[in-house]
Amino acid sequence: MHIVICVKQVVDPDGVNSYALWGQLEVDDSGRAFSTRLPLIINAYDDQAIEAALRLRDAGDDVTITAISVGGEDVDQVLKHCVAMGCNEIIRIDDPEAGAGNALRTARLLAAQIEELGDVDLVLCGRQSSDYDQGAVPGALAELLGFACVTLGFGVTAEDGRLRVQRATPLGEELVSVATPAVVTISNELGVPRYPTSRGMIAARRRPPTVRAAADLEAGEGAHGVELVELFVPDVQGHCEQIEGATPAEQAAALFARLEEEGVL
Amino acid sequence: MSGVLVVIAQPGPAGLNQAEGEALGLGRSLADALGEPLACALIGQGLEAAASEAAERGAEQVLSADADHLATFSGDAVVAAAAEAVSASGASSVIVARGPNALELAPRLGARLGGGCVMGASAFRTDGANVEAVASVFGGSARAVYRMNAEPRVVSLAPGVAAPPEREAGRAAETVALDVAPPAEERVTVEEPAALTGPRLEDAKIVVSGGRGLQLGENFGLIRELAEALGGLPGASRAIVDDGWAPAEEQVGLTGKIVSPDLYIAAGISGASQHMVGCSTARVLVGVNTDADAPIFRYARYGITADCLEVLPELIRLARERAAG
Repeated sequence: MHIVICVKQVVDPDGVNSYALWGQLEVDDSGRAFSTRLPLIINAYDDQAIEAALRLRDAGDDVTITAISVGGEDVDQVLKHCVAMGCNEIIRIDDPEAGAGNALRTARLLAAQIEELGDVDLVLCGRQSSDYDQGAVPGALAELLGFACVTLGFGVTAEDGRLRVQRATPLGEELVSVATPAVVTISNELGVPRYPTSRGMIAARRRPPTVRAAADLEAGEGAHGVELVELFVPDVQGHCEQIEGATPAEQAAALFARLEEEGVL
Repeated sequence: MSGVLVVIAQPGPAGLNQAEGEALGLGRSLADALGEPLACALIGQGLEAAASEAAERGAEQVLSADADHLATFSGDAVVAAAAEAVSASGASSVIVARGPNALELAPRLGARLGGGCVMGASAFRTDGANVEAVASVFGGSARAVYRMNAEPRVVSLAPGVAAPPEREAGRAAETVALDVAPPAEERVTVEEPAALTGPRLEDAKIVVSGGRGLQLGENFGLIRELAEALGGLPGASRAIVDDGWAPAEEQVGLTGKIVSPDLYIAAGISGASQHMVGCSTARVLVGVNTDADAPIFRYARYGITADCLEVLPELIRLARERAAG
């Protein structure tokens, strides 16, 4: 089975969160990016998508895993991590126009690359990226490739040429069977991904990605249906009353008194 | 192209839910701002109640794709029906109502129609011709504004973005029956459907949530006990759902449930924005955390700076005394 994982490098959302809470998250002069310097990491949901693929391999399936990312040279760090985790091949689509808000263009580039690979059975994506939280690439990718689509998976197994996917839906767990080829998105309920092995990390150091120029892929015109024009940081107004008390029992009693006054108990 | 089309997949047999009403509400304000009509596409089976409600809540045209094969969600069938509705209505803007399958429906529809989509929009900005959509990014820490250059513009919505329009009894709409055939092959089949029994977290008046401050998985029992003693439901942070201390359907936050109870008690939860997205509209929010600087106290109405493992048993005792009268 040939599995493609679509990975994205993101600004660490926990870093963004911390800066925002202390009022220090600033947008640069372009109005479309943060000026605050923050670490770049792999989108955590994509890391879980790799884990889902590795579990298929662990289950005894003959699995080849190709990781693909769109972006500049910075992204090579993330692709090396994919090798360290156990991915067989890494491809970077070098796109000078890569950026937020252009999910359809990203999906078109990924689809063109996946079509060129030709023998792909399964595309795994994180449920959304933890920076822009859109989750718009996987569905678009399924549509462009003509693959079946299943969202919010947290367990994938292969059986008789089909896949069984456990889904974490808002209404509870669901089990579906899907024909291949398919795009499946992975949600955090999958659990914590494994650590790369030392051997994997050594292999990763010596492994440059195959780099494809976006212009060389048959991705259709670079449509800009959706364009990020502004980022801003909303205010959070604090008005918290601290409940005092010498003991937890006193604090609990004082809180209950307040909640009764508020009429919520 | 002209018109705003609200797309609702699998409405309930009794009519529209809150999220579907909100989509009509935001659709109405966008339609008015653009000076265009409001239409509503219903995709499912047995749509009479939903169709009359959509008309009574202001849709001037109701397009129904009513067929047996649409009784439950199938991405292939619903995307095809939605694309048919867009074509039949000639809409310039398409608003996909929030629902369990919007995550598949909106991006596929946006790709099929060629202009892409914006997910989780909370508001529109328009000068009457151009349309921009505002959406939360970085787990709620910031907002992005997206200009939508291609028609039809496809968006899905964040929760609580608009009030459902008032219902005007007897108000009628132009109705259109869409001709939809089942797909040749059902590529995704449900083997075990999601079967949530009991009350929903989204409907609870009181939610008590726990996070890593509980220190051990077994301590989530304290959260359950307090929720039960208060007549509410338990919730969990993403961190402890990932740790397996609580099931996924109890997760509150960006990637879990969005709740809006009268009282939300967050115990041992730091208040990361991706959690707060799920609970910040609670009427009264209480934070219990050992760290006086924890972000949760920026959002909370009342705070207790203490170990939740010491405070929770006291709260449980008081709640039980109160319940016993």
